[in-house]
Amino acid sequence: MSLFTDHPRARWAAPAAAVAVVAAGTLVTNLTASADPSLPPRSAAQLLADVQRAQLAYVSGTVVQSADLGLPDLSALGGGRQGSSSLQSVVTGTHTWRVWYGGEQQQRLALVGSLGESDVIRNGRDLWLWSSDQKTAEHYRLPAKPAGRTHDEQAGGSASPRATDLPKTPEEAAKRALAALDPTTAVTTSGSSVVAGRSAYDLVLKPRDPASLVASVRISVDAKRHIPLRVQAYSTKRANPAFEVGFTSIDFGRPDARQFAFNPPPGTKVTEHPVTAPDKAKAQGKDKTRTKGAPTVVGKGWTAVAVGSLPPGALTSGSTKPGQRGQGDQLQALLKNLPRVSGSWGSGRLLNGTLFSAVLTDDGRYAVGAVKPEGLYAALKAR
Amino acid sequence: MSAVEVGSGTAVDAGVGAGSAIRPRRRWSTRFLRSELRLIAGRRRNQMGLLVLAAVPIIMAIAVKVSTPGPGEGPNFLSSITSNGLFVPLAALGVEIAMFLPLAMSMLSGDAVAGEANLGTLRYLLTVPVSRTRLLAVKYVSLCIGALWGVTAVALPGAVIGIALFGTGDLTTLSGSQISFGVAVWRVVLVMLYLAAGLAGLAAVGLFISTLTEQPIAASIALLIFTILSWILDSVPQLSWLHPWLIVHEWMSFGDLLRDPIAWANVLRGLFVDGVYALVFWLAAWARFSSKDITS
Repeated sequence: MSLFTDHPRARWAAPAAAVAVVAAGTLVTNLTASADPSLPPRSAAQLLADVQRAQLAYVSGTVVQSADLGLPDLSALGGGRQGSSSLQSVVTGTHTWRVWYGGEQQQRLALVGSLGESDVIRNGRDLWLWSSDQKTAEHYRLPAKPAGRTHDEQAGGSASPRATDLPKTPEEAAKRALAALDPTTAVTTSGSSVVAGRSAYDLVLKPRDPASLVASVRISVDAKRHIPLRVQAYSTKRANPAFEVGFTSIDFGRPDARQFAFNPPPGTKVTEHPVTAPDKAKAQGKDKTRTKGAPTVVGKGWTAVAVGSLPPGALTSGSTKPGQRGQGDQLQALLKNLPRVSGSWGSGRLLNGTLFSAVLTDDGRYAVGAVKPEGLYAALKAR
Repeated sequence: MSAVEVGSGTAVDAGVGAGSAIRPRRRWSTRFLRSELRLIAGRRRNQMGLLVLAAVPIIMAIAVKVSTPGPGEGPNFLSSITSNGLFVPLAALGVEIAMFLPLAMSMLSGDAVAGEANLGTLRYLLTVPVSRTRLLAVKYVSLCIGALWGVTAVALPGAVIGIALFGTGDLTTLSGSQISFGVAVWRVVLVMLYLAAGLAGLAAVGLFISTLTEQPIAASIALLIFTILSWILDSVPQLSWLHPWLIVHEWMSFGDLLRDPIAWANVLRGLFVDGVYALVFWLAAWARFSSKDITS
């Protein structure tokens, strides 16, 4: 104590030391979390083959998704604020999901809001949507046979294989996928990273076309289980990922069966949907978009631009319906906040995002693509 | 430090242990703490404050009984009250944690040191043979107990009137599952403890501010400004790098205790930040107070 009695100011070292310890501790945890683990090198083809061979039995964990797409604040439309649990709000900001995967028949996703939760629960043929804010549950009965899963075609992979010459082994599939990607994309494995406390290989896709807004897409693949743990999309405009979704904690144990048993609690408004409703609705939706001026695609690969025209009155029709009056008006207000642009292609409003940009012309045409606005103008002119 | 010299002779009389210079047998006594708590509980303004805190859940419960809100209407949990009375304390805590409970903490922490300095009682307090460190520790413990009092003043009347008006029964978690009433009571207790921990972290900031001034009002207002500023900073998306370090940032995560299963990550993070605030600001208060000249 004599030090402190002789030098009273020395006491301030104590709170300063506490701050320093916390700061150092945080720094160390962050550094170890992002440090490159030493993993034996693995080529892109090997990694892709690994991913295809990966057998996912059970997973549960927390997934954090954050988007910095450069979009205007859409919360007025979705009715949700930051940290909202409404499913429409996930386009912007940071969101946390709790995930349980108990095999083909049992899955559950919970979108965690600050004081609410939206769940999608699948248990066998039952599919439930639950919203704690609205106290509603929607119940779908899925068709007995699980619907054929469609793998999303890799961006740029225009050469889709015919059913007869499907790849026989994961290695072959990986080789073909890489060959299809090669003209548009440089695929590399740039070392490794740590995701959710697990070592992972990084598979990096870089568009070769310099006009693309996407600088790179980085997929972190678990070194032991070979499942993707994180996907990050980098924009040419930002240093941090413009879009990121990844596990922050993960557990490969079997989730409790209780997670998948959902009984609507008393006081819940339950909407029952007939058996084939989701498929029908989807098909109807598809038909609609097809009949009402489907967009044409200008360009190829990463810099493809979709050009089309809206059905007349699409933006104003909402405001004539009594129920949607507010939303139509808000959409208009939103559009008015976007910068006006004009050129030889016409004039309109520009949405200048980080990963994509979009133009809506005054005469109802639109162009959307992962390119800078100039690319959109060129596409509009070309059509 | 004249207080110590005077104190060593009267240690037994004061009954609160000895000062730091000689350190005779230190008898552990809660007498100082008890007198401090009596002081807090006895102040008329604190009693009034507790009444205001308790009024909110009662008003909410009666309002919901009179006219039932639809789903998603009103503050969080309000529309759930009709299904289970325990949602009354939860809804009330969700509303009051933003402003009323921090206001209560700023009143208490303003009184803690600055109030005594202002009344001129601080120097008398320092003549009893208690080291300033111990005095500050007792002050802080009493503030923590005050935080628990404040939360209880909201939750207990809320639970009583909620159960009286809407009854007990299974509670629907945010995840849509149901938990039994007994488990639900424990969840509410966890929420209370979690929020009290947040307020205790805030109290350390208040205690530090309280050592800086001799005006209790100034100290109270400063802590209130600190709280409001934290909420404002927390709502600015451009400052997202700062958010994990704002004391209020994880307060609303008390909802995670009402999920099934409980999502601990944010709650633990919140407790960690509360702890950091408590440690850093208590030490800062100690550094300031131990070397401070008491002039009033």
